[in-house]
Amino acid sequence: MSSDADGARDLTAPGDLGFALDDIDRDEAIAEGLSVVYGESRARFLGKLAFGGAALIAGLASPPALAAGPEQDVSTLNFDLVFEFLQSSFYLGAVRDGTVAAMRPEKERWARVLGAHELAHVTILKSVLGTKAAAKPFFNFRGITEDEAAFTRTAVAMEDLTVALLAGQAPRFHDRKLTAAVFSLLTTEARHAAWARRIAGVVPVANAFDEPKTLAEVDRVVRRTRFVASRPRTRSRRNPELTG
Amino acid sequence: MQRRRSSSAQTDARNGSESSTRGELLLRALTAAGAVGVGGLLVGSLAGPAASAPSPAQDVRILNYFLLLEYLQQGLYEEARVAGGLTGEMRRFAAVAGGHEREHVDTLRTVLGGDARSKPEFQFGEAVENERRFGAAAVPLEEAAAAAYIGQAANLTTKRIPMIARMVPVEARHAAWIRGIVGREPAPHAADPPQEPREVERTIERTGFVKRR
Repeated sequence: MSSDADGARDLTAPGDLGFALDDIDRDEAIAEGLSVVYGESRARFLGKLAFGGAALIAGLASPPALAAGPEQDVSTLNFDLVFEFLQSSFYLGAVRDGTVAAMRPEKERWARVLGAHELAHVTILKSVLGTKAAAKPFFNFRGITEDEAAFTRTAVAMEDLTVALLAGQAPRFHDRKLTAAVFSLLTTEARHAAWARRIAGVVPVANAFDEPKTLAEVDRVVRRTRFVASRPRTRSRRNPELTG
Repeated sequence: MQRRRSSSAQTDARNGSESSTRGELLLRALTAAGAVGVGGLLVGSLAGPAASAPSPAQDVRILNYFLLLEYLQQGLYEEARVAGGLTGEMRRFAAVAGGHEREHVDTLRTVLGGDARSKPEFQFGEAVENERRFGAAAVPLEEAAAAAYIGQAANLTTKRIPMIARMVPVEARHAAWIRGIVGREPAPHAADPPQEPREVERTIERTGFVKRR
């Protein structure tokens, strides 16, 4: 993932952005993720989280089997990490597609700053999670990063969703220092949301209180976007058994 | 600065820190944590971020600290609205944000009950009459509120944090909005730094808005 750090310095730098070119069997990825959450041990759950494609899906459903404790903090941080991957890939995708360069200067600045911040968040969360950090999933934005109007609408929705996610999760960490630290990310995402809404011509602050969302609620929204593609398979599961 | 902290966090992570220290690591990656802040006359004595054991008595001090900031903002926006000197988006900001701050004041007063501090007397002067001065006053007040919430919210008792977590992003949205209106970058940091009560208090004192008794 060294491309992330490089990208943070220069969002226009070409490189491997980790996109899937097509959407691969989304529903099976979800099924796999849910079986991970409900049917396997915590250790395997975290192992799967670090394994890729289904990371976002696996992180989402509030897993009832997980005891309260640092492991839950890790899975919550990993969910946040995958969400930051989603956002940074989204902005980088729009840069790569030339959509950002075609914007008026003030708007171009907005898109580039947000992309750089989301990359910084990825770097921060990865460094904190160390070996437990989830791998970057594959994303497919279905042409949205090529269309300025669709990109802007989606950016507004995505930033508001991030605020709802972090406002819901910040109080739930067992480690108070994580709560304190995530508030620093929450306010940055809230600024992004307000900035995006202003750019889009929507009132930047809709209510006196932001409405938090649970991981499961955020999961449902992300699933509807179909932005997360599962890892492309190198080997089909349906290959006939050659033994016996 | 950001880069240096980030790489030291990476080094620690490579050295195999356990999850119990992840919070510390993240705090260090994001902020210059560890210093203990001691407030003065306006805000009272409070600890640094995530630095002290939560207690109901400490909740009262922290929530009253937030209440003072909300009173200040709400007072500024309300008086500017009444004075009628704002136009366009600045006027809309004062109306919308003023309504939010009023709700925040009401909520904090309800939670604090008899422990709620009274509203100080303010003297906003030209800040409520002149559009440029209003913007120059609103930006630091919104920034101070956001940084104060980041710095103290995690020191509250568990039952108080969810409510505050819904107010924190609203202050940050206000800050981004007013910065955009006055032509400043709405999101100047990848991670917003907290402020100690003493710094926040200095900001408040510099405005001269709170009347000394």
